[in-house]
Amino acid sequence: MEETVKVIVFTLNNQRYGADIKQVMSIEKMKEITKVPGTSDFIKGIISLHGETVPVLDLKERLQIAQTKESDLNRIIVVQVDGIQVGLIVDAATDVMDVDSSVIETAKEMGGMVHKDYIKGVAKLENELLILLDLANVLALTEKEELKEVMEH
Amino acid sequence: MNTDQYIEVFLDESREHLQAINDNLLKLEKQPTEIEIVQEIFRSAHTLKGMSATMGFEDIASLTHQMENVLDKIRHYELTVTTEVIDLTFAAVEALEVMVQSISEGNNGKKDVTKLVSQLKQVETGKPSEEEASVGQPPATELLEIDEYQATIISQAVNNGYQAFQITVKLTEDCMLKGPRAYMVFSNLEPLGEAIKTVPDVDEIEEGNFDQSFSFLFISTESSKLIQETIEKVSEIEKVEIAGFSMKEQSVEIPKETVQSTEDKKQTTKEKPKQSKTIRVNIERIDHLMNLFEEVIIDRSRLEDLSKKYIDQELNETVENMTRVTEDMQGLLLAMRMVPIDQVFNRFPRMVRDLSKDLHKKISLEIIGSDTELDRTVIDEIGDPLVHLIRNSLDHGIETPEKRLQAGKAEEGKITLKAYHSGNHVFIDIVDDGAGINREKVEEKAIENGLISVEHSKQLSDEEVYHLIFASGFSTADQISDISGRGVGLDVVKNKIESLGGSIVVSSEPGKGSMFSIQLPLTLSILSTLLVKVQQETFAIPLSSIIETVALSPQDIKYVHGQKVMDFRGHIVPLVSLNKVYGVSDQDDSSHSVVIIQKGDKRSGLLVDSFIGQREVVLKSLGNYLKNIFAISGATILGNGEVCLIIDPNALVK
Amino acid sequence: MARVLITDDAAFMRMQLKDIVTKLGHEVVGEAENGLIAIEQAKELQPDLITMDITMPEMNGVDATREIRKALPAAKIIMCSAMGQQSMVVDAIQAGANDFIVKPFNMDRIKESLSKVLS
Repeated sequence: MEETVKVIVFTLNNQRYGADIKQVMSIEKMKEITKVPGTSDFIKGIISLHGETVPVLDLKERLQIAQTKESDLNRIIVVQVDGIQVGLIVDAATDVMDVDSSVIETAKEMGGMVHKDYIKGVAKLENELLILLDLANVLALTEKEELKEVMEH
Repeated sequence: MNTDQYIEVFLDESREHLQAINDNLLKLEKQPTEIEIVQEIFRSAHTLKGMSATMGFEDIASLTHQMENVLDKIRHYELTVTTEVIDLTFAAVEALEVMVQSISEGNNGKKDVTKLVSQLKQVETGKPSEEEASVGQPPATELLEIDEYQATIISQAVNNGYQAFQITVKLTEDCMLKGPRAYMVFSNLEPLGEAIKTVPDVDEIEEGNFDQSFSFLFISTESSKLIQETIEKVSEIEKVEIAGFSMKEQSVEIPKETVQSTEDKKQTTKEKPKQSKTIRVNIERIDHLMNLFEEVIIDRSRLEDLSKKYIDQELNETVENMTRVTEDMQGLLLAMRMVPIDQVFNRFPRMVRDLSKDLHKKISLEIIGSDTELDRTVIDEIGDPLVHLIRNSLDHGIETPEKRLQAGKAEEGKITLKAYHSGNHVFIDIVDDGAGINREKVEEKAIENGLISVEHSKQLSDEEVYHLIFASGFSTADQISDISGRGVGLDVVKNKIESLGGSIVVSSEPGKGSMFSIQLPLTLSILSTLLVKVQQETFAIPLSSIIETVALSPQDIKYVHGQKVMDFRGHIVPLVSLNKVYGVSDQDDSSHSVVIIQKGDKRSGLLVDSFIGQREVVLKSLGNYLKNIFAISGATILGNGEVCLIIDPNALVK
Repeated sequence: MARVLITDDAAFMRMQLKDIVTKLGHEVVGEAENGLIAIEQAKELQPDLITMDITMPEMNGVDATREIRKALPAAKIIMCSAMGQQSMVVDAIQAGANDFIVKPFNMDRIKESLSKVLS
């Protein structure tokens, strides 16, 4: 059985990452972000999207990847996980591709680039390795940490 | 016919009519001779019957049909309103409610209603219903017999060139109103000639008391073909048989009246005077509309910018006009979400009636301000807490008639439910003239449950002791009754109200009664705010907390224990720098505009850079992802598309 | 195709009738929830055919039929009645109604009525 997964591909500090397109609501150009005080640094604030407010976080900061210069290519990928909508700032959203599920390996250690909890798997493509992110964990852990922070106060 | 698409409307309207019947039955109980009220109930029952029959809910249809029969007799003064009638009708309504509820839960709405139906029939007739008793007339296929008088008419007519026809009309099997159908046949034939004799009698025919066909003699100068065609113009006719009639084998009968006399049952239908035109809209659609509208607002502000850029008179006027229109639209949209609290209150008269019967108490309920409007979302949530509080008043508040008489009070207790607006809030008071809260009992119970210590209890004011009844698992009734005190305490009520952004207080006077007073926000989604600037950020402060805004000169700022304070009309008010609280920037505060806010009797002054102005904003929650943010209650999207945070002033008053 | 005005105080019934009438190839040009509105609408819209509920607030169907008959002598009026309304139906016919149908509605029955009345 040949199964394919549709993934959205984006870059963070020159490395390409992928995420399941089923979780992606839309891709927005950068817009004005209203800061929300008292939250983690990687939470950049909230934006207005179709009459609703959506929290936005900087994915590089979240995954502890080195910061890059702002550019016109920067995008906010709006994802929905467990009923929560969140915008993720990425360097660029490049394309959408079909990935054969047979080439996806479950994540082991990735040499410390990104914590393995955030990785769902690695797709071995012809000339690259595409890291597929586990968005549920990327977001959920945030909440736990947030909670911790609040309690430590 | 596929009726699924109508189910929602059916359910909505059914509930409305059941509620109307409920309300009117209560009225009727007090004024049993008021036929107007019976008319109202009849109309509701009638509509219910029609709708349910269409939807194929036969049990509802048959029950409402029988209700209607009883009501019909009452409104024609053939039956009087007795307690039995009222109770039975209430029982029927209850059964109907159960069935409607069952349908709304996706079931078939079936229920055995035969007992109720037969009880109603007994009320109606004192015997089994006419449907069971009615026996169809045998089809009149035999040659019609006429009496001497009729014979004379016919022979005279024949002599004058008329022809006599014997006509048998057979209606379709599913024809439901046979009487009027037959009437139409006669009415259509009228210009063509005259009906001399009918079988069965005209009266019987017009009452529909025949099986499927009826016959008559008809004299006319027209052809049988035309007569046939004329009859067939009437709907629901299966067959028309026309034969020439000759007077041969007739025997004389007792003369009977054959003149068509339509019964003059004048139905007085003076109907409800007020009924506003409404349509039903799903609340989600309004929310969606609201969101779309906000996008329009954002585009509007872009247009405003553009019109400033390209200075053009016409463009400018258009944009200005658009601004006015959209402002009106916003007002309307907000108003759309508001519904009268009557939607919640209307179930209480019935509840109080039933419960007071169960409790063997005499209690009247007075409702004031049922037209007070509240946001739909609040309305949806407030029902259960109110039910609980009213039950509590019925059960624990109002005494038994004996006790009341002993205490020198009127035998009948009274509960008043009162709703009113004040500022940005709606207040709902539940007042009873019962025994009041027994301080000793509350203390005893609280100590027993470990809520307070004996020493502690002595220091508490009456109010504070009363407030203990909102503590978890509290019940002060000597006997746990069925009505309240089933483990669900008033703490649940308090939590619910607080979750709606409201509060509840109780006051009581021994022997005189108690009052529960609920304060609720007018709406959960729309807020009147003052927009302020702090450095480059905009914040919204709810007007409901603001007392005043003042401009402060640097020398007015004083320090008490290192805390910035100001003198506000002789009171020392601590100053809170929003810049610091929200970490807007590292720059030093140069702000000297102050918003004085209040929580209870405590005040704070919020330091801001400037006031932008008053604005109605739509409250957006920050969602689950960003919860528990200090002193922020949500966000809103301003007209220019900018997202702005809404301050929770309560967190900033210490 | 006839232009039809539907009169009933229950939105549910109006929806149903509208649905059926439309399916039968006619055009519903208006809806009224009581007799008074029906008269207004009839005068304004000049429909070919009016369906008229009997029991309605403000003004019942019989009185409305009588009034409409004066203003629009050619319009066809079909009463929508329920079981147990014999005498009202007869009153309505005397007032000028052309036919009546009985709730619950049945598509064939409505079809028959429309074709007979409009022929």
